[in-house]
Amino acid sequence: MYNNMGPQQGMPRPPGNPEPGPFGNPFTGAGSGFIRGGLGAYGERILGSSSEYVQSNITRYFSDPQYYFQVNDQYVRNKLKVVLFPFLHRGHWTRISEPVGGRLSYKPPIYDINAPDLYIPFMAFGTYVVLAGFSLGLNGKFTPEALNWLFVKGLVGWFLQVMLLKVTLLSLGSGEAPLLDIVAYGGYAFAGLCLAGFAKIMWGYSYYALMPWTCLCTGIFLVKTMKRVLFAEVRSYDSSKHHYLLLFLALVQFPLLIWLGNISVNWLL
Amino acid sequence: MTKDFAVPPVVFPSGGSPAPGANVQQRRVPTAPPYQPPRPSASSSIPFMSFDIGSASATQGGPFGGAIASSSSFGGGSASFDDEEPLLDELGIHPDQIWKKTRSILNPFRINQTVHKDSDLSGPIFLYLALCLFQLLAGKIQFGVILGWVVVASMFLYTVYNMLAGRNGNLNLHTCTSLVGYSLLPVVILSAVSLFVPQGAGPVRFVLAGAFVLWATRACSNLVVSLADGGEEHRGLISYACFLIYTLFSLLVVF
Repeated sequence: MYNNMGPQQGMPRPPGNPEPGPFGNPFTGAGSGFIRGGLGAYGERILGSSSEYVQSNITRYFSDPQYYFQVNDQYVRNKLKVVLFPFLHRGHWTRISEPVGGRLSYKPPIYDINAPDLYIPFMAFGTYVVLAGFSLGLNGKFTPEALNWLFVKGLVGWFLQVMLLKVTLLSLGSGEAPLLDIVAYGGYAFAGLCLAGFAKIMWGYSYYALMPWTCLCTGIFLVKTMKRVLFAEVRSYDSSKHHYLLLFLALVQFPLLIWLGNISVNWLL
Repeated sequence: MTKDFAVPPVVFPSGGSPAPGANVQQRRVPTAPPYQPPRPSASSSIPFMSFDIGSASATQGGPFGGAIASSSSFGGGSASFDDEEPLLDELGIHPDQIWKKTRSILNPFRINQTVHKDSDLSGPIFLYLALCLFQLLAGKIQFGVILGWVVVASMFLYTVYNMLAGRNGNLNLHTCTSLVGYSLLPVVILSAVSLFVPQGAGPVRFVLAGAFVLWATRACSNLVVSLADGGEEHRGLISYACFLIYTLFSLLVVF
């Protein structure tokens, strides 16, 4: 289970220029060996074209994934507190930016509680799959194939969440936030799902109290985060349209998370 | 039923000829005449076959006696049977090394990582087969499932470790799979033990599974952190990933 942690303060940030890849060239940064070795080699083999072509395309869609894994224990604990109890976060929600090589880029997650990371979403997703398998087993319906379908269901849910955020960004502005940012924000919902799932295993009826709580908290977290992202990315500030979309974002969490939390053999329901 | 067939002339480099018993004097000629099996004494109808490679099976016919040329007199070009490498060495399986590594995991409180420095995959394969065997005894046929999960789990741990360790991370996939496989030993023991735990004792199974999962997690994360660079400050994060992996395997065993 997750430990409790204290809130952290963030500094107000000057409006940065929205760029698709503010994190530098992923192939000279850290993790370059991983990307170059893994994706570059397969890209050459699969696409049959030169590896520069593949690398340039990957740069367009993925910012450097190494940035999202610069985490430590303290960050993980604090971020989980922010995700699970967002109204307790006393500080600002803006990300701290720093000038790097003449461009403004954001500080890595170790230094900034508001920066997105990919460690928590991946671990939360894994925990969700494990807890789902556990609760299937407690009902006597565990088979490995059912667990595979639950994995697929989790992936579909994550994808839907990412689509939702992306559509929100696109309809309001340029939608130029890095894709991995959106993937990270979409994956934070699984942390709340894990909490609800764990409560369901402990005592069945607590699920009905904890599920709306989780949906509410995830909704608040996403709204506050997206507000900052929109403020950074979007040029014109159309107040009412923004607010309606953000409200829609929070309300859609309810059916989505209830669908994801309903763990049964029939994965479509 | 001895057949009379034309055998090409056989030249014996040692000069001596195999003496089947009868007709010895005729065979003393160095340029050997066509070799024919002794007809009258053949009680067995096995025709004599000549082999180029020195193989002991050439001396198959009993009545031909042990005087039939041993493999060395046939000479030939290939290495003889005695010079071949032992099969296990050729396959790369070193049983004493596997046993040493497995024994190092058996102690949950002191992890000896020097013995794991050179990674091999034959120990994990052996442990995988043992786990599948115990699952089979429990009535679950899960060979493909466990293999697939081991592969996915090792890729997952490899990705997470290298991403967390950043520039310094130098865990490679072979070592990662080897460590994940060896740390399956507690899960194997769990599946063996849970064959004897009665079916209805729910909480007992969970507590038992929990203890073994914690053992496996501790072994795996200690080994991974001590064998590859860059993982020291992320110990807790990596051990949570290992914990997830072994909980997944214990789900297969318990349910």
